[in-house]
Amino acid sequence: MAKSKEELLQQLSDCVFEMEDENVADAANEYIDAGYEALDGVLKGLVDGMNRAGQMYEEEEYFVTDLLVCSDAMYNGLEVLKPHLPLDQDADAVNYKCVIGVVEGDTHDIGKNLVRIMLETAGFEVYDLGRDVPLISFVEKAKEVDAQLICLSTLMTTTMPGMKEVVEMLEKEELKDKVKVMIGGGPISQAYCDQINADGYAVNAIGAVTLAKELVGMA
Amino acid sequence: MNSKARLLKALKGEDTDRSPCICPGGMMNMVVTALMEKANIHWPEAHTDPIKMAGLAKAVYDYGCFENYGVPFCMTIEAEQMGAVVDLGSTIHEPHVTGYAIDNLSQWEKLIPLDPYGKRAKVVLDAIKILKQQDDHVPIIGNLSGPVSVAASLIEPVDYYKALKRHKEDAHAFMKFVTEGLISFGKAQIEAGADVIAISDPSGTGEILGPRLFDEFVVTYVNQLIDGLHEINPELPIIVHICGKMHKVYQELNKIRTVAHSFDSIVSIKEAKKVMPGKVMIGNVSSFALEFADADRIRVLTQKVMDDGSDIIAPACGLGTKSSLENIQAMLHIVQQSSHEA
Repeated sequence: MAKSKEELLQQLSDCVFEMEDENVADAANEYIDAGYEALDGVLKGLVDGMNRAGQMYEEEEYFVTDLLVCSDAMYNGLEVLKPHLPLDQDADAVNYKCVIGVVEGDTHDIGKNLVRIMLETAGFEVYDLGRDVPLISFVEKAKEVDAQLICLSTLMTTTMPGMKEVVEMLEKEELKDKVKVMIGGGPISQAYCDQINADGYAVNAIGAVTLAKELVGMA
Repeated sequence: MNSKARLLKALKGEDTDRSPCICPGGMMNMVVTALMEKANIHWPEAHTDPIKMAGLAKAVYDYGCFENYGVPFCMTIEAEQMGAVVDLGSTIHEPHVTGYAIDNLSQWEKLIPLDPYGKRAKVVLDAIKILKQQDDHVPIIGNLSGPVSVAASLIEPVDYYKALKRHKEDAHAFMKFVTEGLISFGKAQIEAGADVIAISDPSGTGEILGPRLFDEFVVTYVNQLIDGLHEINPELPIIVHICGKMHKVYQELNKIRTVAHSFDSIVSIKEAKKVMPGKVMIGNVSSFALEFADADRIRVLTQKVMDDGSDIIAPACGLGTKSSLENIQAMLHIVQQSSHEA
């Protein structure tokens, strides 16, 4: 007997959650071949699996390495489902745009990559500037794409002051109200966030998503 | 008791007149801009010139910051020697890796074996020799980046971390290669005159790896590194610093074959002492506070760290270059005072 839609969605979710990055494409093809909506496959299947993984990460049963493999599985599944998504799905929806990167002087980007993945999972349109990013680039990119949010990351104490400079640049250009700044990384704290007048600090990638949604007013 | 005797005794867990106050160097940066100005020796020049490197390391002691010498001032030398591209940074920014040596973990055999006597590795060795000639009872700490951190500087870290789960055979062969390179560099530092070796492995944090991979890759290769260094001198004290929260990996951490552990400010020294009996605790005055709080606050925090039972007082992480000399001196001062009260 053919599997029901629920079973196939569960299978997609499980492939991501259980890190089956090599089996997920087959599961996605099976889902499409059965004639179900690609969008549900993404949101109720793949993204659901990633959210379950995020939950386990919060509970400290999963770690960063686990989430990275889960996200591989999610992206492998997306590759199969994406061509089947309706083109006008977002015609009326607000696009929440976010610029992300590791500040100048630092190249540690594992945390930033994880936040990018989780933000994409949550539906943000993410512009990743990479690592060791000149500070002005954050502001320029945010202006260019009309982003509501800038996410700054660093692991090193020596590069933290760059975050303050980005906030100051936004203030100077009178963009501070329009573009929120969210910061994170090893040495960063709420105290530092308050001190440099950033809009929010998140302790990890899951917290970052909650905070990002809050800052841009995403339902 | 002189600084060297005090630190060497404290690192073995033996009694001393008071705690030493140190900052190892390497990832645990102890150089701030104000000090560079006083000494008139600056980054990035001090990363490539042994006389300047030794001069700046000596200034750390001479200007009353910490009771040790330590070189180098970055954690990029090992990866650079094996083929990574490094930007030497500026007066403010530390050197950092900007280009990886390999695209795929399976290419590890293409890496250049670490030459401990070439390029910037030689700068470190020469700086240690210059410091040794001072013969002034100040302990010299030679620094190594830990195996996982070096590995994650040679290849894109996301690919590296995934490979630890997916391509174990290659991952272990690669880690063995990296560790052998680190052993050769560490041995050369000991031969040049380092009294202590500090291994910092920030990328090997349990927060990223989780207990199983921490055991499989951090414990295994840090231990291989320690055993390799001890071939030269079984008594040589080794400090191991791992960043981040530890509560998930205490059990594994106890398997590391050294006595002296240094922790981030997020770790409670009190808690760590309970679950790691017999270990010497190093740390962990908040480097954030050292950069952003005032000297009074630093005195309070340092006292708290001492009261919590830290055996060797040190910053929790590398210092931000904009930290004030006043704050750093306040930390040392309160530690030095503790001997009079005891």
